[in-house]
Amino acid sequence: MRRKNLWFLAVVVLALVASACSSSSDETTTTAAPEATTTTQAETTTTAVPSPDFEGKVLDSGGCDTDGYSGRVDTITAIDEYTVEFKLCNPHPAFLAQIAFGVFGIQPEEHLEATGGAPLANPVGTGPFAVKEWLRGDSVVFTRNDDYYGQVAPQETLVLKWSTESAGRLLELQSGNADGMTFPGVQDYPTIEADPNLQLLNKPEPNIFYMGFTNTFAPWDNVDVRKAVAMGIDRQRIVDTFYPPGSETASHFTPCSVQFGCEGDSWYDFDAEAAKTLLADAGFPDGFDTTIYYRDVTRGYLPTPGDVAADIQAQLKENLNINAEIVVMESGEFIQTSSAGGLDGIHLLGWTGDYPHITNFLDFHFAETNLQFGNPYPEIYEPLKTASQTADAATAQPLYEEANNAIKEFVPMVPIAHGGAAYVATSAVQGAYAPPWGDVTFNLWDNGGDTIVFVQGNEPISLYCADETDGESLRACAQVVEALYSYDKDGNVQPQLATECVPNDDLSVWTCSLRQGVVFHDGSTFDANDVVVSYTAGLDAASPLHTGNSGVFEYYDYLWNGLINAPAAEG
Amino acid sequence: MISRQKSIEILEAQSAQHDLLDKPLSQWRLTLRRFRGRRSGMVGLGIVVFLILMAIFAPVIAPYPPNEVLIGKEDVGPREKPCIHILGCDENKPQHIMGTDGNVRDEFSRIIYGARISLTLGFFTVTIALLVGGFFGAIAGYVGGWFDNIVMRIMDVILGFPSLLLAIAIVAVLGPGLQNALIAIAIVAIPAYARVMRAQVLAIKESDFVQASVALGSSSRQLLLRRVIPNALTPLVVLATLGVATAILEAAGLSFLGLGAQPPNPEWGSMLAQERNNLFTSPLLVFFPGFAIMLTVLGFNLMGDGLRDALDPALNR
Repeated sequence: MRRKNLWFLAVVVLALVASACSSSSDETTTTAAPEATTTTQAETTTTAVPSPDFEGKVLDSGGCDTDGYSGRVDTITAIDEYTVEFKLCNPHPAFLAQIAFGVFGIQPEEHLEATGGAPLANPVGTGPFAVKEWLRGDSVVFTRNDDYYGQVAPQETLVLKWSTESAGRLLELQSGNADGMTFPGVQDYPTIEADPNLQLLNKPEPNIFYMGFTNTFAPWDNVDVRKAVAMGIDRQRIVDTFYPPGSETASHFTPCSVQFGCEGDSWYDFDAEAAKTLLADAGFPDGFDTTIYYRDVTRGYLPTPGDVAADIQAQLKENLNINAEIVVMESGEFIQTSSAGGLDGIHLLGWTGDYPHITNFLDFHFAETNLQFGNPYPEIYEPLKTASQTADAATAQPLYEEANNAIKEFVPMVPIAHGGAAYVATSAVQGAYAPPWGDVTFNLWDNGGDTIVFVQGNEPISLYCADETDGESLRACAQVVEALYSYDKDGNVQPQLATECVPNDDLSVWTCSLRQGVVFHDGSTFDANDVVVSYTAGLDAASPLHTGNSGVFEYYDYLWNGLINAPAAEG
Repeated sequence: MISRQKSIEILEAQSAQHDLLDKPLSQWRLTLRRFRGRRSGMVGLGIVVFLILMAIFAPVIAPYPPNEVLIGKEDVGPREKPCIHILGCDENKPQHIMGTDGNVRDEFSRIIYGARISLTLGFFTVTIALLVGGFFGAIAGYVGGWFDNIVMRIMDVILGFPSLLLAIAIVAVLGPGLQNALIAIAIVAIPAYARVMRAQVLAIKESDFVQASVALGSSSRQLLLRRVIPNALTPLVVLATLGVATAILEAAGLSFLGLGAQPPNPEWGSMLAQERNNLFTSPLLVFFPGFAIMLTVLGFNLMGDGLRDALDPALNR
């Protein structure tokens, strides 16, 4: 018996020794990678030894201006582990501003492959937070990324909730259930400003609210009718009555804070008599019947859609004797139909800038391929096309002036207002801000607790933002996934996952050096192939990773002037 | 405070006295007497009459056209609080009994004109449902057989859906708007009238006086139009009165969802919806249309209840 016990004891001891050896060898394995890099807490940059075995990937469009592809990208090449080269078909002055847009966030190639190009609920990024769980219909919960190379979040948990009504969101703040919210109602501004427990965060986002016409439908095919409406709407009254402080009546389509936005003549002044005369001369002395279409969705550019629609309806009747019926459409259907030029009346829509460049406003709306306002106007899109490929600002300036004047001459839409937007936070939150471009990253907000709760207008559609366009999805993604560049608190473009991107002389080739030693939330190391594969998933329609949520990849399509290997349009 | 039972007894005593002294009272006069004895019914009738008068004389009562935007015409802004001069509001400020709405229109005028829309919608909806449902119910009950089976199964299918949900589905197909909302609510209401009418016809066609008419050689058409339907109408009248309230409530619900009346129509449901986001900053703009809906529905319900009691033949005994 005693001998048996001794044997048993010996076996147990041996097992413990073996287990200890095994665990120590595991530790060696996991720490091997960090040992290869040298990281200092004070500096956010790290260095690593590039792997000689690295096989760089390439996204090749097959050449510029080839049959079926007229986009911006020639090739995107992983030159080495930490260098990516973007070879473009034309000079692209807005390159840095564009790649800073959160839609172009980078995810690990292994994760994109594992999810078939559709990490809709489980994105993996390098951001200050990682997705913990998405409670559908309730909230998205994030956990802090303790290994974040930037400012590590003070809160361990971030909860993103939603409530469609601004009053409901404000109630969440007032009752202490949330720390911040998006877009308060105009009527709530005085309450918020008077409440010592709340802080109003002005969000100087460049935006535009406009009423658009599609010139393929009568009577909007008549430029004088469009001009009459442009002169017959008291835009100042709309801004004064329905917009919060910080809003202004639009003198041009693009806000003046964007370079070249206000080149050219200012918009028509309100003159009801002249408008009526012009309408009569156009063949409509007694007015006509039309429809005002809009979606009941609050945005910074349109804080009270119903009120504004009703006022435009009243002004059309009062000033021009135009009988307008108001039709509220479902948001998705409205965007889809208006974008395709399928609305026969006036459509009330707006735009919030994605990146700080005039191309983001003018080129999207008035490009040759955009059918929103019916048949495009060459007088507008031709100077825009030339300007977008012009590196020299002095050369671009007169082109934008020409385009803005042509917009005023042909009136595809009436610019109404640049809305003042805001977020709200409780006074307890330190460092709260609302940037003009991009979105808040909540590692910079500190409420002094373990959890921070933010309420936005709607539930994200998905968390794979390469294939999303709505602000609610982009806000959620911004916490997790980062792009090569980003926007700082003041809206300036700054390096993020790249340390710098250097152009050639004519701005058609951009070479980006990547931040080294960055680790994704899944533990994989960020390198140049992740950039190439992330862009391939968005840009190359033939890639097996080009799946996404809807598969449209709208921003990739429009900001890069079309997808590579895009299927031929029907018809 | 006279109890309901007591009032019935008084009425019956009066009726009996009348019977002894004078010629017998007609059924309708008896009903009217019984109705007058029901205080809640009379309150309901009072509310309904008040609303009808308000709707008819809206242009006289309302100080402004309902859709007139007052920007630039008066020194008022959106969602101004009520200003009543006799209650101390500054004489220099324009008087708005219920304040202004989000589009700077006089809220009181819109509430007054809203009665027109709601009452018209309620009456028309019930009329359509009563005519269509009553017609099919009467034919089905009288003819019976396969026709009865088909009609009533269709009615069962319609009844199988929650009424507001079905109305939403119908409006979704027809498109939003007051007219389509009216049609949708009418369609949803048809089965109730059809079933009640059928049940009444089934009972009455076996009555002795109907059999007597048959023996005297009356045609089916004569029997149905002169004997059966007139005697089957009583419960339908009660149902219709209560149905007006339901129709107004459903119309307000559809408008609240953006499927009924469209801007700038001053429909109470849509007025409520337009201001739902301002519940905390301008609660009165939600309260006034909500109260108007409540008052109208209460009025019709009380009147309907009173009518039901008054028309109940059991109370003759």
